[in-house]
Amino acid sequence: MIPYKKILLFSVPLIGMSLACTKLDEKLNSTLTAAQTTTALGASGTGLLLNAAYADLATPFSGQDRLFSLEENTTDESLVPTRGGDWDDNGVWRVLHSHTWNADHGQILTNFNELNKLSFDATNVLSFSPTKAQAAEARFLRALSLYYQLDFYGQFPFRNPGENLLNAPKVYGATDGIAFIISELNAALTDIPAGNSNAQANADAIKTLLMKCYLNKGAFINRAAPTFDAADMAQVISIGNTIISGGKYSYTPQYFDNFSVNNGTLSKEGIFVYPNSSGVSTNHAGVEARWNMTLHYNSYTPANPNAGWNGFSTISAFYSSFNTSAGATAFGPADTLLDPRLGGRYYAGATNASGIKPGFLVGQQYNENGVALKDRKGNPLAYDPVIAPTMIETGSNLEVTGIRVVKYVPDYTNSGKYYGGPAGNWLMIFRYPDVVLMVAEAKQRTGDAAGALTLVNGLRTARGASTFATLPLVNTANVDDPNTLLAERGRELYWEGVRRTDLIRFGVFLKPWGLKPTDDPKNLLFPVPNQALAANPNLKQNPGYTN
Amino acid sequence: MLFASSQVFSQTKTITGKITDSKDGSPIVGATVQPKGTKNGTSTGADGSFSLTVGANVTTLVVTSVGFNRQEISVANASVISMVSSNASLNEVVVVGYGTARKRDLTGAVSSVKAKDFNQGAITNPDQLLQNKVAGLEVTNTSGQPGVATTVQIRGNNSIRSNSSPLYVVDGVPLDGGTARPNIGIGFGGSTPNSNPLLYIDPNSIASVDVLKDASSAAIYGARGANGVIVITTKKGTSGPMKVEAGVNFGVNLGYMKRFAILNASQYRAALVKYKQPSTLDGGGNEDALKALTQHGLTQNYSLAFSGGNEAGKFRAAFLGSKTIGFLKKSALDKYLTTIGGTYKFIDNHLTLDFNLIAGNYGEQLTSVSNNAGSAGNIISSAVSWNPTVPLIKNGLYSFPSNGSGNPLAFNDAFNDRSTVNAFLANISASYAIAKGLTYKFLYGVNHGAGNRKVSIDGWLEGQSGISGVGIAGIANAKLLTQNFTHTLDYKTDIAKDLSLDAIVGYEYYKADYSGDQIVASGFNTNLTQTGRTNILYTSTFQNAKTQNPLVTFANPRGEIQSYFGRVTLNYLDKLVVTGSLRADGSSKFGKNHKYGYFPAVGAKWSVSNESFMKDSRIFSNLALRASYGITGNQEFPSGASQEQFALNSYSNLPQVVNGNPDLKWESSKSINVGADFAFAKGRIYASVDYYHKTTSDILFQTTAIQPAPSSISYVNLKNANLINSGFELAIGAGIVDSKDFGWDLNVNVAYNKNIIKKFTDPNTGLPLLIQTGQINGQGVSGTLAQVITNGQPVNEFYLKPFQGFDKDGNQKYGDNPVFSGDPNPHVLAGFSSTVRYKKFSLGINMGGAFGFLIYNNTATAVTNIAGIAQGRNIDKAAYNSGEGVSSGVAASSRFLEKGDYFKMRNATLRYSVGNVGKYFKGVTAFVTGSNLFVITKFTGFDPEVNIDKSNNSYPSRSIEYVPYPTPRSITFGVNFSL
Repeated sequence: MIPYKKILLFSVPLIGMSLACTKLDEKLNSTLTAAQTTTALGASGTGLLLNAAYADLATPFSGQDRLFSLEENTTDESLVPTRGGDWDDNGVWRVLHSHTWNADHGQILTNFNELNKLSFDATNVLSFSPTKAQAAEARFLRALSLYYQLDFYGQFPFRNPGENLLNAPKVYGATDGIAFIISELNAALTDIPAGNSNAQANADAIKTLLMKCYLNKGAFINRAAPTFDAADMAQVISIGNTIISGGKYSYTPQYFDNFSVNNGTLSKEGIFVYPNSSGVSTNHAGVEARWNMTLHYNSYTPANPNAGWNGFSTISAFYSSFNTSAGATAFGPADTLLDPRLGGRYYAGATNASGIKPGFLVGQQYNENGVALKDRKGNPLAYDPVIAPTMIETGSNLEVTGIRVVKYVPDYTNSGKYYGGPAGNWLMIFRYPDVVLMVAEAKQRTGDAAGALTLVNGLRTARGASTFATLPLVNTANVDDPNTLLAERGRELYWEGVRRTDLIRFGVFLKPWGLKPTDDPKNLLFPVPNQALAANPNLKQNPGYTN
Repeated sequence: MLFASSQVFSQTKTITGKITDSKDGSPIVGATVQPKGTKNGTSTGADGSFSLTVGANVTTLVVTSVGFNRQEISVANASVISMVSSNASLNEVVVVGYGTARKRDLTGAVSSVKAKDFNQGAITNPDQLLQNKVAGLEVTNTSGQPGVATTVQIRGNNSIRSNSSPLYVVDGVPLDGGTARPNIGIGFGGSTPNSNPLLYIDPNSIASVDVLKDASSAAIYGARGANGVIVITTKKGTSGPMKVEAGVNFGVNLGYMKRFAILNASQYRAALVKYKQPSTLDGGGNEDALKALTQHGLTQNYSLAFSGGNEAGKFRAAFLGSKTIGFLKKSALDKYLTTIGGTYKFIDNHLTLDFNLIAGNYGEQLTSVSNNAGSAGNIISSAVSWNPTVPLIKNGLYSFPSNGSGNPLAFNDAFNDRSTVNAFLANISASYAIAKGLTYKFLYGVNHGAGNRKVSIDGWLEGQSGISGVGIAGIANAKLLTQNFTHTLDYKTDIAKDLSLDAIVGYEYYKADYSGDQIVASGFNTNLTQTGRTNILYTSTFQNAKTQNPLVTFANPRGEIQSYFGRVTLNYLDKLVVTGSLRADGSSKFGKNHKYGYFPAVGAKWSVSNESFMKDSRIFSNLALRASYGITGNQEFPSGASQEQFALNSYSNLPQVVNGNPDLKWESSKSINVGADFAFAKGRIYASVDYYHKTTSDILFQTTAIQPAPSSISYVNLKNANLINSGFELAIGAGIVDSKDFGWDLNVNVAYNKNIIKKFTDPNTGLPLLIQTGQINGQGVSGTLAQVITNGQPVNEFYLKPFQGFDKDGNQKYGDNPVFSGDPNPHVLAGFSSTVRYKKFSLGINMGGAFGFLIYNNTATAVTNIAGIAQGRNIDKAAYNSGEGVSSGVAASSRFLEKGDYFKMRNATLRYSVGNVGKYFKGVTAFVTGSNLFVITKFTGFDPEVNIDKSNNSYPSRSIEYVPYPTPRSITFGVNFSL
């Protein structure tokens, strides 16, 4: 019945098809495998991996909903009121300012993931036979990530190079974590090349981060009652003094030159920066968010409405820490005589392009021709310091409530084309005055009030503000008391992403201010994001938070 | 080839003969042959032959068989009995994997739709032909833009990843489901819907579509069969003289099928008074922005097909030239398609060569109606929020308000988005009849597509940061190539007199490549003012831009699948059919520890009505019971996910982007199907009912990566989790009247599906997983998610803060925490179609609907909310009629959930058969079709048939409406004839 001969004949194509068998090894066509990365690129491949770690700084350090948001919107320096149809965003902004966040908060998760991406990419450099210099840069970048993780979450997961990524890594807590970061930074400091620029990991940047570690160590380990060990303070002072005496930095004569589109050349204060170029979108940090997030839709030019996002504001109490002692009635140009860092003065390149005077924007706003601006409903565009207690604006003035803060001067080069991005302002990650103020603080905390005052008054004089005769660390009864070292840090470093850490270290993060009542000590740490907890059993939720 | 002899003895005589199908001469197995007036008799064997000894006085035999007309035949003529089919559907040939089967031999759940039953009218995509035609097949339009992708699901939502589409197989060639139309991001306005992957297939050239719903039918497609399989067969030539068929039709969009209720100018004025808003917001005019955006140009379709052939060979060649005018201005779809097929026999009919070529060029003009635009960039968003008292155009120039709505007409005018795709799908096969019943076949198939897309927004547009005074443009290309090599060996034989065997074994190799590039620039020097506009597009003067971003290119990892498969079907006298199949699939996507998956299936069918005790049933002309079980797979996850990958980014940047998982494998679905087929009243009424239960396990899951990690996600198989779909399907057809002058038939199908996720826990910690998705877009709701994928809930369960009414100031109140708020997946799908014929007229209607689900109205939440009136924008009537105050905040909550239930009149066709005209024109038919005539629903948005892609982190969404491209009501006139 069955025709064997023909079946035999037929088996020829069957043999053919069995020869056609493939091993099904997947070919990646525009990405590299780990082996290819090693063999095809060699040492230069390691450099490319390092570039990737640097690129990881862009978004976390410049986005309005990233580190900035967790460091500033949780404090007296910044908040984002809901304005009718805008900025409700499911309440994410309000809960930050009212300290009622939970472990599902999107920004708390995003920061966790992005900081760990930086940690991962920096660690990866160490897997690919780096030079000593490359390894030092990578270890600094990783330490920067770990420092922020420790500050936010009180713990950080850590992988050694080459670990299986499907396994849960070990987790460092506050005490062993800060010790590890310090040891990493000291190791990096040994190998970092002297010639590195301020856009790279450099010796002064490593030192600045070391100072931050020593200064905050006692606060990280005991957030409810920070301690300041004399040896740690001595480290802050001695390391800081090497930066100060190094003579590389000086106070930039015009405060806002530190944040303008030309700050890459004008500023003398950049210790660690992220460079941007006007009109170049690749590896761009999106620094334009720093003005878009606060400016009104009509702030740019009437012909180009909807440029700003009309969100971020500050509270009047913080504004008053500039010694605007007469309170709400005193808002206006006279304030600017107190301290030029308050802004409100003509700034060439910005005021003549748009009418905007960088710094704190209060009251009626004008365009470049001096014509009073209006909001979208036709009311005067006059910023009103009073924000609704619920942070939900419902009145007819909902578009204009809140003092606005323009720290980075909008990029109006090329006819204002890069106002909306890509803007050319360099992002300041570590700035020289922070070093000076940290040394002053350490001196003050170890009984050298006179030495502290000299440093603070030196800064104030350079800024054109009056000097202090005495300066206590903090007034726990009034977070925004102008006559404190904490207030001086606020006046110099406002909206630069250090405020939450400062308030915790000065022991006043839970005190009431403006729109926030006294709150729960659990808020001294953010919760570990639920998604991260679900993935890594070694992470432990912080006390007071439920999963 | 047939013989019979009758020997006559004194008392008895033996009659032998053979019974065949009148249609194709194939033997009819299991037919009953009885002497008239007796209960004695015999059945035909596997070759259709019978031998019956009867009394000498018997002169007439009665021959019966399921699906054929009862026949009385004189003994003298009994040698060859040709039976005429009574119920065509039972003898229809259905294309199953790597072969065909008669419908009555199917053990699984397969629905077949023939060309005559397709939807009519405004059809741009082949999948629209099937809407509401098959129980359990859901084809959802995602947009009114002609040519966009539909959401196609068989038996519920089978995946928690973005791809739950079935596998398409066209003339034996599996498609990869993608298109060569590039996606492009110019950094403005969000992403537009994808184009339909079947767009180059001419709907007029499709002969039939078979939908393989259960595992026993789909398991032969192994790791790609879990979402079901849709098998498309193109028309072939027939033997006979050369024939030319021609058709021409014209269509017009009449208007909105349904409008979203916003305020008109006079209502808006009343609202300004009600909400105490300044009269300066009254622009004094009367504008209908939604109407201003629409156009009513003539859609044209010209088709021509040649066919002919003889015993040795047949061919068919068809051409379609088509221009579909979109409902919104500046949107259109042009198609130029060719479908050629032929089959030729050589070497004494031992060798058969088949070829098919589907080749086409299609061009899409797209509008700026994106899925996820925030506050600007979607013209429908702009139109519904446009202040209706302000003219769109003043003194010949567009007006640009400062209220944030933007001018929709101006945006539409300044926005250009054109794509062109050239695609072809070709296959050639050779089959050789080695011996009786034994056939070897080789098939080579190739699918190639090359697409180009050019997008620009003119800088004269005012009020758009990043565009105004600058201009922006992008160009992208994409290339798709898949190839398929299939060898099969088929053996059909009679093992015993009453038992036949059909066995097939095969080997298949498939590979797919996809690559593309994109370039974006801004800062052009032309078209920067309304008055100084030229007709030159930025994409034609690209080098002029001041800011040029570098060219970005990519090539996806090659996808390879290597498979071995086999299937055996045993048929005992057409009473019992048992089939079993097994496929081994190896895929390059799988991790190195799991290269091969095995997918078995079994099925059985008992044709009760073929048993002798049922032969004389006056009720049933057919009764069959079916049961099947099988395992199918799903390997739709990004290629490369099992390997460590380092990306070569711009500016010398090389991050690791994928962490790799060597254990990654397919997800598998085990399903059972139990069904029954009935026919009553001599086959005039027929019905099928099916129950299925499908459990998907080893779920391919985009999990949270364990930090520190190269990205926030990584792919794993969830070991314990299950996604379960279970339900019933019922399809009923009836030829109620079928006389010479009058005919009436109707078809109804209903499907119920329930979808639930179980044991959904993290693979590392065992903690329950809760994945939020379903982006709510628009001003004030950034980052809000409306849906959840979690344990004990259906996929995409709504998860929203509960709405608690308004406080004394009219501000909306809602709970602090989201709660489970309802199911976005339709529980019941229904289809209804009917044709009434009277003399030369016929009227056919096709209707369908979905029930038991909720839709989230994102338009009402974020675009036309009450806050708009205070800023001079329009609001919707529901907001106006609510107790909400003008200062109420914007927030997503359960307030905007609406019942989605709908029933839609998809199309109605009135046809007049003129007959032959003159000497040459034959079969002239004229028709008029109305499409999307009406919809019955309580949903307040544009179209309850909504599925805007609102996925988050690649987790899919379902049933969220957001300022969609609206559905038009349209009418088509046409004439068909042949020569």
